[in-house]
Amino acid sequence: MRKGNKNRLLLGKMGLDAHDNGIIIVAKWLSDAGFEVIYAGIYNTPDSLLQSALQEGVNAIGCSFLGGEHLFYMRKLTELLKTRQIDNIKLIVGGVIPKEDSDELKRLGVGCVFTPGTMRDTIIETLTDYLK
Amino acid sequence: MNPNKTRTIQTSYLEGERLPHFKSLSGREYKEVYTPQDVSTDPGLPGIYPFTRGIHKTMYRGRLWTRRQQSGYRSGKESNERIKYLLSVGQTGINMDPDLPTHLGLDPDNPLAQGDVGLQGSSLVIYEDMVDLYRDIPLDRVSNTMIVEAPTSAVIIAQYLLLARERGTPWENLIGTIMNCPLSQFVGPTYQAITTFFSVEHAVKIALDVMETMIQRSPKWNIVNINAYNIRETGVNAVQEAAFSLALAQDYARKLVERGLAVDRFAPRIGFFSAVHMDVFEEIAKLRAMRRIWARIMKEKFKAKNERSMWFRTACQTSALPLTAQEPLNNIVRAGIQTLAAALAGVQSIHTTGYDEAFSLPTEESHKLSIRTQQIVAYETGITKSVDPLGGSYLVERLTDELDEEIWELLKVIEDRGGFVQCFLDRWVEDQITEMRYRMGDDMNSGQQPIVGVNLFRDESDSTKISIFRHSDSWQQQRIQEIIDHKKNRPKEPVKRALDALERQTRERPHENCIEPIMRAVEARATLGEIMDAIRKAIDFKRPGM
Repeated sequence: MRKGNKNRLLLGKMGLDAHDNGIIIVAKWLSDAGFEVIYAGIYNTPDSLLQSALQEGVNAIGCSFLGGEHLFYMRKLTELLKTRQIDNIKLIVGGVIPKEDSDELKRLGVGCVFTPGTMRDTIIETLTDYLK
Repeated sequence: MNPNKTRTIQTSYLEGERLPHFKSLSGREYKEVYTPQDVSTDPGLPGIYPFTRGIHKTMYRGRLWTRRQQSGYRSGKESNERIKYLLSVGQTGINMDPDLPTHLGLDPDNPLAQGDVGLQGSSLVIYEDMVDLYRDIPLDRVSNTMIVEAPTSAVIIAQYLLLARERGTPWENLIGTIMNCPLSQFVGPTYQAITTFFSVEHAVKIALDVMETMIQRSPKWNIVNINAYNIRETGVNAVQEAAFSLALAQDYARKLVERGLAVDRFAPRIGFFSAVHMDVFEEIAKLRAMRRIWARIMKEKFKAKNERSMWFRTACQTSALPLTAQEPLNNIVRAGIQTLAAALAGVQSIHTTGYDEAFSLPTEESHKLSIRTQQIVAYETGITKSVDPLGGSYLVERLTDELDEEIWELLKVIEDRGGFVQCFLDRWVEDQITEMRYRMGDDMNSGQQPIVGVNLFRDESDSTKISIFRHSDSWQQQRIQEIIDHKKNRPKEPVKRALDALERQTRERPHENCIEPIMRAVEARATLGEIMDAIRKAIDFKRPGM
């Protein structure tokens, strides 16, 4: 694995929600498109996700949400990055996210938010650009 | 109008607007036209074996389907208010959904649970929550579905039985359903989701304990509901949905027989919960085929004598997969059509999914619209006035036969591999699901499965705003504190004694039914998470954080 690859990212879900159709499909799309995807599965905590991200030397973490827990967990994750002074890991969110929360997530430092119905090429192009 | 759009409209007029293909959602090719030559079997009559046309002779003429919208958020108190609201606008049954920590057997003060308390359902932890949830609701007059799987179904049913006793409602009069299926309920049979917090083998054992208990004490109660809906929502097709769920039901039936229960005693209390996706005729044919196959399985394999044992009774939910975040009002039309299909298929109850599904839990307004959708289909369209109005349609009868055959074949494959539970443990099910998910993603992306407003006629400028349900952050903290206080303020000794007794029985006499000791623990004011952890310890199962 080339650790310096900018298109190397960790995907996973935090909390107890186990709806993973979206993230599993997106993981496949991205890896088919040449991204190096490490899939951390469901039931991660902010700590465990960050731990995996550091171990794997990824450039970005992508999280998927469905049940309304996105702000709770992304606040925890961004606080954790701040406390540990990590500024070289970018953040991506996907899933059922109301528009106002999308804005709030961006204020927290999330670079891209993908909501249901986003087409494959849009995701790939946006991420290629964002991870540049 | 942008020039590209204008060009598309002109071209489609000149060339004639056409579908991209004539395949069904599950990939079968629709013929140009169906004729009497396509039909080989006589579908018979409703109310008569094999019940292809309906389990009752009079169907909706005798009684409409039950309107049963799922609800649940925050705690018992708030959910009780929503239940009463729903009943006031015409809901006819309750469908109660607990939050994720409750489903997984974790208390709200567990660090893993904190972000999910009260979000996707109601936080039910102690006996008092059950008291709040069903306040003013007569347990022997309103049919109540509890969406909870084993192993936590054992705690919820224990709390429920204690509530009935406290209120003086005899257990034999309780009406309702506990979903209780550890494999299909939570999010369908995906491996990591249901093996992380409990052992699947032991969850099946506890599910059977709940079934056995309720069969003996509450003969009107439905002991298990196979969640074909959640199986389908993982992305599998109509044939897989049907075969997986029927195979799973057979597994339970066999295990109940092994426990010495007579088939005609328990089979009438097994129910299903199916999906109704967008392909109208394929979905109707699927449900007709499932009725026929279940009747055949019960009569021929299990030698049932009572006709009720052969009834494939199913609740339905309109599929959320085709609902879109783009132009959300379109979802009202989709759910309306799916509701119509469910009624044409002759199901026993319907949950019409809210148009705001791609954004949040349903608002009160969206919940009401779902009920109105069903009422319009029931009262205004006339489709309920004759039983199985599509019976005898060349197309529908042919599809029913085809699906019957394919489902039956897949059932055989699963049987040859040792049944559904075994297929799950072997991760065969997981492989099937993953393959179908990828296909679902590709079909959505390529337009193979047309979705208006998403991969077809997409309008990036659309800015439809709908009001959505919002959670309050401060509420979660309050709820967590409530449970911490509960644990601090109760007498400690009885809790410890009851949990020890439960742990000891589970360890030393693992085959014994666990409901009695769980009831003792609930009475001693133990929480749901503590009861689950006692069992986890006894079976040496380590959950995350333990």
